[in-house]
Amino acid sequence: MDTLIEMKNIVKVFPPNVVALDDVSTDFRKGEIHAIVGENGAGKSTLMKVLYGLEGRNNGEIMLRGQPTHFNDPGEAIANRIGMVHQEILLIPEYTIWQNIILGVEPTNIFGKIDEAKARRTVKEKIEEFQFNLNPDDKVGDISVAARQKVEILKLLYRNVEILILDEPTSVLTPQEIPQLFSELRRLRDSGKTILFISHHLDEVLTLSDRITVMRKGKKIATVEASETNKEDLARMMVGRDVIFLSKRDGKVPGDVVFSVDDLSYIDGNGHKHLEEVNLNVKAGEIVGIAGVEGNGQLALVNCIMGMNHPSHGSITVNGKDLTRAEILERRRYISFVSQDRGKMGAAVKASIADNVMMTHHRLNKKFTRWNGKLLDYRYARQFTDQIEEQFNVSMGSMDAPFKSLSGGNQQKVILGRELLLETPFLLLDQPTRGLDVGSIEYVHDIILNMRSQDRAILMISADLEELFRLSDRILVLHRGKIVADLPTEDTSVEQVGYLMLEGKDKEDAKEIH
Amino acid sequence: MRKKFISGILGIVVALVLGAIIMLFQGYNPIETYGALFSYSLGGWYPFCTTLRNSVPLILTGFSASIAFASGPVNLGQPGQLLIGALFATVGGMYIHLPAVLEIPILIALALLGGALWSGAAALMHKWFSMDEFITTLMLNMIADLLTYWAISYPFFEKGANSPLTPQIDKAGWLPEFGEFNTNVLVMLLTFVVVWFIYSRLTAGYEWRLTGQNSIFARLGGCNIDKNYMAVMLITGALAGLAGGLVVMAGPHRFVKGLGANYAWDGVMVAMVANNGLFGTILYGLFFSTLQSGALGMELITAVPSEFIQVLQSVIVLVIVAGRGLLDIWMDKSMIKRKARERAA
Amino acid sequence: MNIFIGLINGMISGATPILLAALGGTFTYYAGIFNIAMEGMMLGGAFFAVLGSYYFHSWPMGILFAILGALFMALIFIVFSVILKTDEFITGIALNLFAVGATTYLLRQIFKVKGAFSDPGIIPIPKVDIPLIKDIPVVGSILSGQNLLVYVTFVVILITVYVVFKTRFGLRLRAAGYNAASLDTSGVRTSSVRIWSLVICGVLCGLAGAYLSLGYVNLFSENMSAGRGWISLAAVILVNGNPWGITLISLLFGFTDGLGLLLQQYLPNQFTSMVPYIATLISLYFYSIQKRKKTA
Repeated sequence: MDTLIEMKNIVKVFPPNVVALDDVSTDFRKGEIHAIVGENGAGKSTLMKVLYGLEGRNNGEIMLRGQPTHFNDPGEAIANRIGMVHQEILLIPEYTIWQNIILGVEPTNIFGKIDEAKARRTVKEKIEEFQFNLNPDDKVGDISVAARQKVEILKLLYRNVEILILDEPTSVLTPQEIPQLFSELRRLRDSGKTILFISHHLDEVLTLSDRITVMRKGKKIATVEASETNKEDLARMMVGRDVIFLSKRDGKVPGDVVFSVDDLSYIDGNGHKHLEEVNLNVKAGEIVGIAGVEGNGQLALVNCIMGMNHPSHGSITVNGKDLTRAEILERRRYISFVSQDRGKMGAAVKASIADNVMMTHHRLNKKFTRWNGKLLDYRYARQFTDQIEEQFNVSMGSMDAPFKSLSGGNQQKVILGRELLLETPFLLLDQPTRGLDVGSIEYVHDIILNMRSQDRAILMISADLEELFRLSDRILVLHRGKIVADLPTEDTSVEQVGYLMLEGKDKEDAKEIH
Repeated sequence: MRKKFISGILGIVVALVLGAIIMLFQGYNPIETYGALFSYSLGGWYPFCTTLRNSVPLILTGFSASIAFASGPVNLGQPGQLLIGALFATVGGMYIHLPAVLEIPILIALALLGGALWSGAAALMHKWFSMDEFITTLMLNMIADLLTYWAISYPFFEKGANSPLTPQIDKAGWLPEFGEFNTNVLVMLLTFVVVWFIYSRLTAGYEWRLTGQNSIFARLGGCNIDKNYMAVMLITGALAGLAGGLVVMAGPHRFVKGLGANYAWDGVMVAMVANNGLFGTILYGLFFSTLQSGALGMELITAVPSEFIQVLQSVIVLVIVAGRGLLDIWMDKSMIKRKARERAA
Repeated sequence: MNIFIGLINGMISGATPILLAALGGTFTYYAGIFNIAMEGMMLGGAFFAVLGSYYFHSWPMGILFAILGALFMALIFIVFSVILKTDEFITGIALNLFAVGATTYLLRQIFKVKGAFSDPGIIPIPKVDIPLIKDIPVVGSILSGQNLLVYVTFVVILITVYVVFKTRFGLRLRAAGYNAASLDTSGVRTSSVRIWSLVICGVLCGLAGAYLSLGYVNLFSENMSAGRGWISLAAVILVNGNPWGITLISLLFGFTDGLGLLLQQYLPNQFTSMVPYIATLISLYFYSIQKRKKTA
């Protein structure tokens, strides 16, 4: 196999002095599947973005097919047959598959009219050439996430791209969908394409790749043959120390039921059933995890619990109190909430850190106000912010700085601090460690386990099966708005849960477990 | 904080330079023109007091827009609310006859009421029918303009006048003047103190601010979005209404056609330039009033039409806001880099 | 019968400026731009139409100048909100205020009058009589004899539908509004598409302005757009940009204009002038109620 791409001594500095890539040299061979692994912030995304033309470099050379190359923007990269599929799927849901694929290279007649027949025909040809099993007339908004990913790949193949870069391709797929993606990627490799992919899922990387490059803190640590390494070695290279993969939960007997959802159904104004007779409960000192493919009712469940929507049927109870139709403020006396999207629901990013920390406390905690709740006591609020900074090990400058000036990990710590100090019996966590680096993830997990030891009831929704298995006492699976499984963690496996997430029932039989 | 100051001053300077260029184009002498402009608005006690007096409706409508925009509701109805507030105060002044100590507060209250009523109409349409207040307040502006036009032409018309206007209000309703200094400035300052206190010290103000930044977050945090929305709409409407009432009570003492027409939109501009800050609104309100009050003088001395000021104002707004936008982007970029540095370290 | 014909003709002439501006708004709406500057572009167009027609004694020059004038406004919007990335809302409001100020100022400077400029030297856009059709009873008086721009508007509707839904530009235009990042990664610059949509909007708003000052009436008066730009904006929002929907709504608003004139026999003219604005509120009511049901 010959070398297709050579990256020599790449240096990338973000002003004033953040060294994102520190003299990185590596090469990629034609017709191989090459994985780039590392923690968040290690530089793997930046390296690929420099290759692709999304970022410039400060030093170093890139050789493509033996010639020095420099791309100023993705358009040039594509013209040179290099394409990138981003982690966030960037398609237009309102358009059909063929419309999405031809966007930017539309075949036209006179007056710029699109030649629809030709477009559909050429797209269909490409679909069949790579055996992707898609219907060009389907609207992208209607197909599955895995199918959308295929459309993204197809979009690049349609432009005769030879080198495909994939950024965390498995983060949006269920365990069952991953093998299919892998077999497609292998087929592409066998037909002569080169595949580079960024990942931090070491098991998958070992299964799929031919070679693996490990990055840490902007430096390339090593490039190894997949067959000659293992998970522990890779992890050690990635993090710089030994990483423990075992669960840290102790055997704890949960107490009484604190939180319960009974027969909950939610049908929206269009008649669409988001939740169907959902029954679940969480006991004191218990962590219940909810697994499920995104879009199977998680959002509706969160909205009903928090009070953004009223369910069509059923009830929500905390410590015996019926909160089904309660005002949001009333619910907050009993429920702490860490949302999945910090910027959208968990904070006001342009407001100061102190302002963000006061929220909800300003209504529920009499110490924050005077004059019967009408006047704010800023001095107390500032003391409270200091308390959070200390207790949760947040590294912040001034508390008057805007919230968005904090790093992702610190933002999540502040939010956790604010929510947990509400001292409610029940915690609702939605993707609590999304986008965080390994250090912060461990820290947050410790906090969650701490809450468990303090007998709080915790309901956790997560797309990270590893996280669910590490922390939960029980795992529920949400499929098409129904709870299709309620299993003690010890009695199940990642494979079983993955299958349930996708199919809604167990492989062996259709017996539903409640 | 200092950056806001610098970008503000810079923006004003750039816009004045642009204005000078336009003047040169037209064959006018910019130095003479600006000289006339500023001497007419700031050169001496009488001009200065006039500028102060004229700044009051600008600043009050500026408060109205600032608070609304910073808290969520898109209240663009200041023109209409100003007119209705002025109408209420005028009609009150025509039929209520009490000593000044009572008359003035009552007329002020009526002005507040009129403005609040008009913004309240839009707020109710939003609450009951989910109608976007952006469009409703705009439509209500047009309707208020026509309604007050009718009101001063028929039921409240000054018999025998040549153009639509009302009789003068009771002398007790005239805001007192100390020499050239009009006490409407005092009313404005008092309003500022009250509004500032509510917005930065009260729990309600905190909730309004955070709702304006991220309404979903505020809602999930337990804020009563509906109640806050209504409160903000009513208060900002009242502020604009107050502006109208003061125009009548401190100025012509009657409702004249075309009264306060531009003040409200200028107030919106002031709020935008001040980035919805209360103190900035006062400063920019004073500045725009300087430009406007000097315009007539400018025309008398150098024959540059006073309408030129309207052009200059909108250019200033665009330049300052654009500059601020660029500054924001630049600051965002440096923040991203700082974060990345933290992570690498 | 004459009243009926009068109402229909009134509806058409009232609808035309709103429709033209709203079609311009369609392009920017699909491109994902929050464009509230149609009022200012229309006003600019109206002023420059009179300028061109008066100084060149020809209405084609009037139309040309109107388009150029509105394009100038659009250019300002482009420079500030697309290139300098200023907030679109603020840019739109500032632009509208700029248009009022500039046209009032130029009215003083160039024509040396305040309030309004009216002169026999302003050549209006002619009406067009279509032979044969004009002799058909009833229908003939409606189909023939309309202002030239009315027929132009009809053609513009057809062109808009074709361009937005059938051409490559239209596909990219709507993509810019649906998901700008997606369009960018497809190799097409979203900012280019948006700039073109603003240019088209400028041209159409210019035509709308020309109709106001050279067709509907034959003069320029301060702030003569009188909120029609806001009504166009409401129209675009109410139908989510669909060109046929916009045609219907504009006809509805034009009808209320004519209705207002009819009612002048019974009510003071201030109230009759309110009719279009009240009609907008009523339309918004039906739209909002229906939308709320869907998202509940």
